[in-house]
Amino acid sequence: MRNMTGLVHNEWLKLTKKKSFWVSPGLLAALTVLVTVMLYRFSANVAGIESGIAYAAGMLGASGTGQFVTVLSVVATAGIVAQEYAQGTIKFLLIRSRSRGEILVSKYLAVVLYILMMTVISFAVLFIAGGVTFGFGGTGEQWIEALKQGAYGFIYSLVYASLAFMVGVLTRSSGVSIGAGLIGTMFGAIVIQKDFYKYVLLPNADLSVYGTSGPPLPGMTVGFSLTVSAVYVALFLLAGYTVFRRRDIA
Amino acid sequence: MNLAQPNHPDSSQQERLEEPVLTLDQVTKRIGKKTIVDGLSFEVRRGEIVGLLGPNGAGKTTAIRMITGLITINEGDVRIAGHSIRNAFKQAIVHVGGIIENPEFYPYMSGFDNLKQAARMTDTVTDARIMEVIALLGLQEALHKKVKSYSLGMRQRLGIAQALLDRPKLLILDEPTNGLDPAGIREMRDYLKRISQSEGIAVLVSSHLLSEVEQMCTRVVVIQNGKWVTEHRIGDRKNATSMPELRLRVDRPSVAARVLKKLEHVQVTEVKEETSELACRVADADMPMLIDALREEKIAVYRITETKKSLEDEFLQWTGGNQIA
Ligand SMILES: Nc1ncnc2c1ncn2[C@@H]1O[C@H](COP(=O)(O)OP(=O)(O)O)[C@@H](O)[C@H]1O
Ligand SMILES: [Mg+2]
Repeated sequence: MRNMTGLVHNEWLKLTKKKSFWVSPGLLAALTVLVTVMLYRFSANVAGIESGIAYAAGMLGASGTGQFVTVLSVVATAGIVAQEYAQGTIKFLLIRSRSRGEILVSKYLAVVLYILMMTVISFAVLFIAGGVTFGFGGTGEQWIEALKQGAYGFIYSLVYASLAFMVGVLTRSSGVSIGAGLIGTMFGAIVIQKDFYKYVLLPNADLSVYGTSGPPLPGMTVGFSLTVSAVYVALFLLAGYTVFRRRDIA
Repeated sequence: MNLAQPNHPDSSQQERLEEPVLTLDQVTKRIGKKTIVDGLSFEVRRGEIVGLLGPNGAGKTTAIRMITGLITINEGDVRIAGHSIRNAFKQAIVHVGGIIENPEFYPYMSGFDNLKQAARMTDTVTDARIMEVIALLGLQEALHKKVKSYSLGMRQRLGIAQALLDRPKLLILDEPTNGLDPAGIREMRDYLKRISQSEGIAVLVSSHLLSEVEQMCTRVVVIQNGKWVTEHRIGDRKNATSMPELRLRVDRPSVAARVLKKLEHVQVTEVKEETSELACRVADADMPMLIDALREEKIAVYRITETKKSLEDEFLQWTGGNQIA
């Protein structure tokens, strides 16, 4: 496990040493502040918001800033494998005494860390901007709800980042990979009223709907959606691993 | 195989005792219907610098990709320090440092950060070792500059540095002088010799340039169309040509030829009236006699040069006269 820390550290540095690294978190913070200001000035729905933390709870989901986190995380994820091919550094990476499985896992863990970072930033900025706007008070229940919505937002982002990760491994192209991740998020809100659709990833990725509009299809629950999402993520990773493990690096 | 007489008796002793660092055993790679490497076998031992020589497209890079586990092997196996790259990848590859095709790095990181990347993938490389390798390759000044600002020569050096970090038993360099200027090539040659001596490691260098292999390597394995063609120890040739061929420029070549033909230990091989030249074979010991004979006939000698039969001539013989690219 000590070994894995070195690999994940490497992957994290590959992300953060880029000059462009701060663009995404910066954009996320700026958009979050902007949205807060706009809502406060132009929306009638904000009247009932009691505190910054309650505001954060309402905004962290896929219909709020969770969407920004997802899009920006998909963009970061798409490059994590594809760029090694584009730079030729894939050879530098794979002629070490590490299995390809370890390399891939370390990359995926870096993706998880990245999404975690983005979720935390989004949480913090929402809390602060919301606090300034609506007051910093807030009840314990509101905090728990905010943490739950943060977790849902994290899961939503992770699901589509996992899809982008797999497509990145399979195609070695960051463009295709971003496309796949974003198309997933775009069609996530569309629900086809057929029973089989319960088992499709799209209606399951966003757990926050259970608290707002209710189950997308009859018979779906949070636990059900969590299971379906987990199975898809596992399949994405398995497919990526199976291909990556045997592929000729030409 | 022409492994006739090793130069140093003690190195042959060593060869019998130690197993090779690298063994290719009937290695074959097919892509689609094409057989790119076909039943290739050779060995590299400690302290050797072996040149893998062949024209462009011969399969050198493909062979090296198989050796380093970047591509799968269809038939045969590669063993590094006794471990199969197919069945024990991690144990085998831990002994290898290499550059395959171009030295590739993360361009937005410094040379040092790139070496740290390589170091974190090992269990053993310390910062002290990194500094040692940096000093060995003279990279101190460029250390904290971003790799994207490096010249190709500097990237090559950084490439060798990352390859040496984990004290490999085998260093593999694929066309290491490609794109380097003559000074860079000379530098590279000196590094390799120094490294193979100081660290006692085995080196495999691929090249399509004969002259390069000739100057850099202790042995050459020639491949063509993915197949083993021949192997030579560089230096063998010297023993073989105990009567070097000389080219003389004189004022009257045919008269000179008549004089020399009378001498016992001289073979006249060519007379060229138009260029006032003649060629002959003679041992060093008989040279004074040859000079005296020419002087007696008052033949003016303008120039004497040795026509070295280069590896290139031999190479053309081995590959049936095919031009090397
Ligand atoms: N991935 C591949 N698919 C098809 N053909 C390939 C592939 N890689 C190499 N080749 C072919 O195999 C031959 C050997 O290539 P290579 O090993 O790069 O030669 P070298 O390094 O000696 O110049 C060439 O004819 C090349 O076109
Ligand atoms: Mg090549």
